[in-house]
Parts: sequence; C-alpha cells; structure tokens
Amino acid sequence: MSIELWLALLAGALGTYLIRLLPLLWMQRRLRHSRERAGTESTPAWLGVLGPMMIAAVLGVSLVPRTLDSSGWYATGLGLLATLLVWRRTRSLGLPVVVGVASFAAVVLLLR
Amino acid sequence: MSDHDSATSAASAWVGGVRDSLPLLSGYIPVAVSFGLVATQAGFSSLETLAISGLIYAGASQFVFVGMVAGGAPLWLAVAMTLLINLRHVVYAPNLAPWLPPSRWWPWLMHGLTDQVFALALARLPQLAERQRVGWFCGAALLAWLSWIAGSLLGALAGEWLMTQWPLLGEVMPFALPALFLVLVAPRFTSPRWALALCVCIVAALAFTLGGLANVGIPLAAALGGLCFFTLRAPRLPGGQR
Repeated sequence: MSIELWLALLAGALGTYLIRLLPLLWMQRRLRHSRERAGTESTPAWLGVLGPMMIAAVLGVSLVPRTLDSSGWYATGLGLLATLLVWRRTRSLGLPVVVGVASFAAVVLLLR
Repeated sequence: MSDHDSATSAASAWVGGVRDSLPLLSGYIPVAVSFGLVATQAGFSSLETLAISGLIYAGASQFVFVGMVAGGAPLWLAVAMTLLINLRHVVYAPNLAPWLPPSRWWPWLMHGLTDQVFALALARLPQLAERQRVGWFCGAALLAWLSWIAGSLLGALAGEWLMTQWPLLGEVMPFALPALFLVLVAPRFTSPRWALALCVCIVAALAFTLGGLANVGIPLAAALGGLCFFTLRAPRLPGGQR
C-alpha cells in the first residue's frame, strides 16, 4: 500500500473517530453547564426520542435477509416472532437471540 | 467499599459487558469475514485489511473504501464517502452522555461506538450502577472490536474456503443482529404513540434498504420516526395532562 493510501486510511479512521468523539465532548460540556446553572442535568427532548429511533432504524436496515427470496422473508418473520415470544417470557438478552437464530435457520433449511 | 470489593465489582462489570455483547459476534463475524475476503480480492494484503478494520472500524464504509480504492477513485473521494457514511454516528454519543459517569476512559472508548454497541449501551447502561458502566462498556466494546478484527483476518486468510465450506452459516448467523435489535427496541413500545413512531421508523428503514439506501436510510428513518412521534399528540387526560 502506498504512503498516499496509508494517509487516506488514517484520514478516514481519524475522521470516523472524531465523528464519534466530538459530539460526546459537546454533550458533556452542555450537561456540565446545565448542572452548574440549574443544579440538574438537562438533555434536549428530541435526543431522548432520537436514541430509540436510531435503534429501530438499525433494526429496520438489518431485517433485509441476505437472500431476497420468499424463504428468506419467511425465515425473518418467524425468527422475529420466536425472538419476541421468548423475550416476553424471559425478558433476557441472550436466549431470545439464540432461539431467533435457530428458528431462522430451521426455516431456511426446511424451505430450501 | 474495600479495594477487593471494587476490583471484584469492576471485573464483574467487564464480564457483564462481554456477556451482553456475545450476540453481536454472530452478526459481526460473518460480515467481517466477507470484508476480509472482499479486501484481499481488491488487492489489499492481510496486514492492510487488519489496519482498515482496526482503525476505521465501521462496516459499510470499509466496503465502500476498499471498493473505491480498488476501482481507482481519487483517494480524497474515498475518504469523503467513508466519512459521509459514518456521519450517522454523530448522534450516538450525545444520547449516551447522560449515562456516562466521569472517567478519562470515555474519549478513548468512543472508537468502539458502532451502531450495534450504541444500541446495546443505550439499553443497558441506564440499568447498571454508575461504578459498573465504564467496565461494562469496555468489556462490550472491546469484544465487539476484537471480533471484527479477528473476523476480517479470518476472511483475508481463509474467506474463500470458509464461504464454500459453510455457505449457510454466512446467511443464518447475521440474523442475530435483527434479533438483538428487536430485543433492545421491544421495551420501548410503551404506548400507542411510541409504537406507531417506532413502526414507522422500522418500515421506513427497511424500505430505504430495499431501495439501496441503507446507510443514509438510518438517520432518515430515525428522523421520520421522530417526526411522527412529535406530530402525534398523546391522548389528553382529564385535567389537561398528557
């Protein structure tokens, strides 16, 4: 890899890191100021809504199966249903995911 | 708290972070293996592939970066596209900030703030005691980062062989990600207003992805969901309360 390419890689890496870091520093400063002024921390209302929406958006993006055929969609639907049912029973993180992946795999194996 | 107690608490926080991020691995590793394979096919060495995964550490933008470089695009354009794709990360840290107790580690740990780690942290940090949060984040973010690097190396060294040996594995394992996100977002369905806004967001993100706009689709769908939330009025309760 040439020097120019290494520099481009480093620029991409540094830029990505700053995109993740600078908003944290901004928000920490804002929280500190609001605590000093009012005695309590305050975050903008839109931020409290945007967080869950970002997770929901990442969920939506990840729903598209690798193979876009009917068995891929059936497997996705059933996998989600199994995940949700196990989550409602256990309220845990790991087991619903394991059962969801197993259900997804079972449907793919049965239909292909 | 004694030194021994605080060391035990820190260790259990790390272990908790590692345990919570385990489901990420079955989503990360197959994608990282694909990236390793794509990067070597594009002419990058194993070391260079490792450097891209370890330093940029942002899935989709890495594929774009190696694709553009291999296709002969100007390097500044490849960097600009990388940053543009990763711009969605700008809202992650401010959302987590209220849950981060003072520590000099947070600025360094922000390197590990991917989509998935953010989703996990936003759900778990508020449930943890303040003294456990740094350790938990370290454990979760470090495991995710190392698995991404290890998967990329595996893909660079043996990706082609792996894909021919176990083609089904590469299709099934990534389902762990939507399953995990579903578990993380499900507790937010606390009212019809939230449920509708979240559904709008999920469907919009799905539609954007099917239309080939996965990366820009995340912030756009989140904005649509937010717009829906603030446009909808909660039912007015007796006495004027909402």
